[in-house]
Amino acid sequence: MEVALSAKNLKKSFNNTEVLKDFSIEIEKGKITAIFGPNGSGKSTLLNILSGITKSNGGSFSIKDFDTFKSSYIFQNYRESLLPWRTNFENVAFPLQIQKQSKSEIKQKVEEIQKFFEFKFDWNKYPYELSGGQQQMLAFMRALITNPNILFIDEPFSALDYENNLLLREHLQKYYLAFKPTILLITHNIEEAVHLAEKIVIFSKKPTTVIETINNPLPYPRSIPLLKTEQFHHIKDQVLSVFQKAANL
Amino acid sequence: MKKHIIIGPVLLILIWILVVYLHLVDAFFLPGPFTVLAKLGEALGRGIIIPDLIATLERVSVSFIVALALGLPLGLWLGYSEKIYDSIEFIIDFFRSTPATALFPLFLLIFGITDTSKIAVAAFSATLIIIFNTAHGVMHAKKSRLLAAQIMGATKLQIFRWILFWESLPQTFIGLRSAVSLSLVVIVVTEMFIGTSVGLGRRIIDAQITYEIPAMYAIILLTGIIGYLLNVFFILIEKRFLHWSGK
Repeated sequence: MEVALSAKNLKKSFNNTEVLKDFSIEIEKGKITAIFGPNGSGKSTLLNILSGITKSNGGSFSIKDFDTFKSSYIFQNYRESLLPWRTNFENVAFPLQIQKQSKSEIKQKVEEIQKFFEFKFDWNKYPYELSGGQQQMLAFMRALITNPNILFIDEPFSALDYENNLLLREHLQKYYLAFKPTILLITHNIEEAVHLAEKIVIFSKKPTTVIETINNPLPYPRSIPLLKTEQFHHIKDQVLSVFQKAANL
Repeated sequence: MKKHIIIGPVLLILIWILVVYLHLVDAFFLPGPFTVLAKLGEALGRGIIIPDLIATLERVSVSFIVALALGLPLGLWLGYSEKIYDSIEFIIDFFRSTPATALFPLFLLIFGITDTSKIAVAAFSATLIIIFNTAHGVMHAKKSRLLAAQIMGATKLQIFRWILFWESLPQTFIGLRSAVSLSLVVIVVTEMFIGTSVGLGRRIIDAQITYEIPAMYAIILLTGIIGYLLNVFFILIEKRFLHWSGK
């Protein structure tokens, strides 16, 4: 396997509570890896360290061919990460603007991504005029427009209703299959994890360790009918059993 | 426009009429609202008060523009460099809390008995309000949007231009609105006492000294209307440019 991201002996404490203690993990390149674990198991902390939001108290990590402009992060709360003073177009264009790309380049890329997702926005309107699902879709497009080779996603569907949740999962899958970035997805929803990920890493309570990594060989594209099959349930049950141990339920 | 907006002014005038009608206050000290309004109409219509109105508005505008030109960049900068703000917060808070009018004699010493000293003292106090609010707007920017831009690889300057500046605007506008109100207050007060023959403050005090009570009320009313309209003007600008605020 080709490793895209590896972390060794990471340490992180908040107010004397050890969240990560000698934590190590390897993430495979070009795969969707889901991280699943009990509340407060340091999932977000890990993601924040790897994406550079927070500093660890020790240990090290490395991302292969790392480039700030080629890594993206999708936040849980689209409302607090989109920029309400910018139109929908300007929001999606924002990362490219930071990269000082020309207006015509930006326009072309926004058109391309819109075409790719077949998602219709009124580009001159503002994010607050969109529904929750559309706003998160806008946040997705903003993260993907740079064509990242690594993508950090923190519970992206948790603020959405089930219908939009499924819809966005399909969009994410479509993008993944077309461009094959490395995706690290944090979720607290087993179905999401099994639906999207090829590897499901289950975390313990803090101080966090990896309890088990479950391989999910279900073939892509994983459509909604697949969610009803026995194979799907089998893997879901497997994850649940490990989770049960992890959370002492 | 809200439907019930008319109730307030009508109620005020009704109470005023009632007080006058029931002789609760000596009619000499409180003429009826129609007498006052007629007086105001006459003063405006015959143009006797226009030079004063212009003089006051000019002083308020100049002091506000000076305050804006100084306060906005300083506030943005101080809000961004929180350490510097922390070290001079006391100075800002102290002078912000000092009644501006108490500083007027000092400004008279510096600038002499001129328009400049009136404008300077109003601009001084308005500047502090703008600095304070703008700086706080920057400091209390939502961290999530800042982080998002950081992760995208934005430079400090880009973050400042594209995130912090915008995040600070709602609070900045609160500052601008208070600043223009305060400018009006300070200008009118300073006009009352020292070294000018034009200005609404001057007219109010003149009317009071000569016991032209209806005229005094008329001009007080006029200053109130100006203050109110300035406020409305800023709210309209806010609605136009800060349509996204709180969303």
